[in-house]
Amino acid sequence: MGLFLQDLVNGILAGGILAVVALGFSLVWGIMNIINLAHGAFIMLGAYITYQLFTSLHVDPFASIPISFAIMFAFGYVIQKYVINNVARAPVLTTFLLTFGLSLLLVNLALMIWSGDARAVTPTYAGSNFSVGPVTIPWAKLATLACALAITALMQLWLARSKLGRAIRATSMDIGAAQLSGVRVAQVYSIVYALGAGLGGAAGSLLSLSYSLNPSMGEPFIIKAFVCCVLGGLGSVEGALVGGLVYGIVESFGSQYIGTGYQDAVALVVLLIVLILRPTGIMGKATA
Amino acid sequence: MKLRHLSLPLTLAFVATLLLPIASTPARAAGDTIVFGAAVSLTGRESKEGRLTQEGYDFWKDWINAHGGIKVGGKTYQVAIKYYDDEDNPQTSAKLVEKLISDDKVNFILGPYGSSASFTTAAVVERYKVPMVESNGAAETIFNQGYKYTFAVLAPARRYLEGIVDMATHMQPRAQTLALTSANDAFSQEVAQGTANFANAHGIKIVYQEKYPVTTTDVSTIISAIKAANPDMILNAGHLTDALLVHKGLKEQNVMAKIYGYSVGPDTPDFRDSLGKDANYVIGAAQWSTTAKYKGYPGFITSSAEYTKQFVAKYHHEPDYHNAESTAGCLAFQYAIEKAGSLDPQKVRDALANLDVVTFYGIIKFDSRGLNVFKPMVVNQIQSGKLVTVWPAGVAVAKPEYPAPVWARR
Repeated sequence: MGLFLQDLVNGILAGGILAVVALGFSLVWGIMNIINLAHGAFIMLGAYITYQLFTSLHVDPFASIPISFAIMFAFGYVIQKYVINNVARAPVLTTFLLTFGLSLLLVNLALMIWSGDARAVTPTYAGSNFSVGPVTIPWAKLATLACALAITALMQLWLARSKLGRAIRATSMDIGAAQLSGVRVAQVYSIVYALGAGLGGAAGSLLSLSYSLNPSMGEPFIIKAFVCCVLGGLGSVEGALVGGLVYGIVESFGSQYIGTGYQDAVALVVLLIVLILRPTGIMGKATA
Repeated sequence: MKLRHLSLPLTLAFVATLLLPIASTPARAAGDTIVFGAAVSLTGRESKEGRLTQEGYDFWKDWINAHGGIKVGGKTYQVAIKYYDDEDNPQTSAKLVEKLISDDKVNFILGPYGSSASFTTAAVVERYKVPMVESNGAAETIFNQGYKYTFAVLAPARRYLEGIVDMATHMQPRAQTLALTSANDAFSQEVAQGTANFANAHGIKIVYQEKYPVTTTDVSTIISAIKAANPDMILNAGHLTDALLVHKGLKEQNVMAKIYGYSVGPDTPDFRDSLGKDANYVIGAAQWSTTAKYKGYPGFITSSAEYTKQFVAKYHHEPDYHNAESTAGCLAFQYAIEKAGSLDPQKVRDALANLDVVTFYGIIKFDSRGLNVFKPMVVNQIQSGKLVTVWPAGVAVAKPEYPAPVWARR
């Protein structure tokens, strides 16, 4: 029973981070129809921003989340405006290729700047923990989960209430109607892509506490983000959250009771089952 | 975007980069120079290890040239090494080695970085009957193909963690139980298999064994299961990234054991820098350490201490075992060529097969498959932030700190 509860907690803690990882990916995919293969590189850059702030200026990793969000937001905005925008309405394969190239470029640039050495962000409280009955909970991961939930809640609120947020949702529902109502689609796209990059950066900051940094650290997260999005339902905030949590918990129990070697396989089987039973994802709505 | 205006300068720059390596290295073995060829990962995921390999090779080359060169028969030769970047791709590595042999006409091949690339290049040197000494591919599968021209100076994968288990059986109180985790790549699987066999043979009970995907990003389930199994000893066969992930996870869930050991990780400065004082008491296996006390044959630097000193003077960082084993690979060639008294590939191959020398790096002697099964791994422990050799007792400079105290007191 103790192990069961511990696995459940592990799964939820891991799922919270995955939700943020998936959120930026999901927005870009759902609204712009771009499968952003550079998302892993954005996560990596976010982690390195946190690392650099921590080692050079002693900024706490949690305090660096808004900074890496802002830097990556600006970076994403520029990339969208001057690079992605050229192929915005192109077939999916074109954007696939472009974002893949972008990813390669960023990873190799990071290799030049930081080299391939493994690095870590280790504040004094890293690894400290507390116990509730048989379950041990690390403080840093709990705080990470809280941040993840806060970020998703803020995003949800912003998309629902703000003018720009409503414009974004309108664009994702019907681009033609949105344009007719005066929404500047090009600007919406830039903001959405920037948000995706910013959220990737924030996810990288969160990951830097429990994960070790190297230029190719983002790669495994692309497939995870992909699965979370499809699991939860594309392009929605609550979808990414549910997808992340479900993925985290399934992976945790799958590892324990079926075998860690099948970690990815278990998650993909669950994805298949969800797609058969609910093709739009757990939280997805049927499209008109 | 007006990329068209840029296309001409870009193309020229591209062509220039292609021509660069050709212009800067000697074209072929000629005159009084022995030319070695090597395809190592200078870019890509394993570029770090590739660079360490290159440093190890170059250190030997420059030392030998500064000390007069290699004597072959009555004649003295200088040494040159021609490099290509295999971009961390085993197939590319094989192609480049083929090019080194057939186009560049190098005399001998020094190995690439990693087991996968060593595996593909071994097939090429076999076809051309040119001997290769490799220093960075420890998977035994390379040597179970019946090849005659590939030799490895490093101890095979299955021996990586044996030393730690051996040490554990000599400690008071003796470690009784083991939790063993491993990444699911060929090298780590061989390490885990060898460790499990050795532990069973020495009366240590394996209470938990599990493998995880190389790309794993979360090992907390494994950590929970280890905690539930409550072993005396936790060993991991994997790579630097997962070693860090596992060790952080063990602290996060407050898992206590007497020994924490990793096949790869503790010997790199990255591990110590990343974990700070949590790295203390961690035990690692290494092919070599700067403090290992071997007494080498004359003809090259004979002690680890002197090697370390001269290496630091040249490269401004401490040599790690990748550097040392790469230098050792060159040394195997040096002694074999001197013994053969010839540059004939067949004669040098035969001399390699019969080689039996001790170097600053340890013994170099090959079994019939070309594998250096005679060399033990050294066991290092991180003690107060420094890596020191603690086992085997004969080459150790410090006693193991055992058992590890609770996390708060490390």
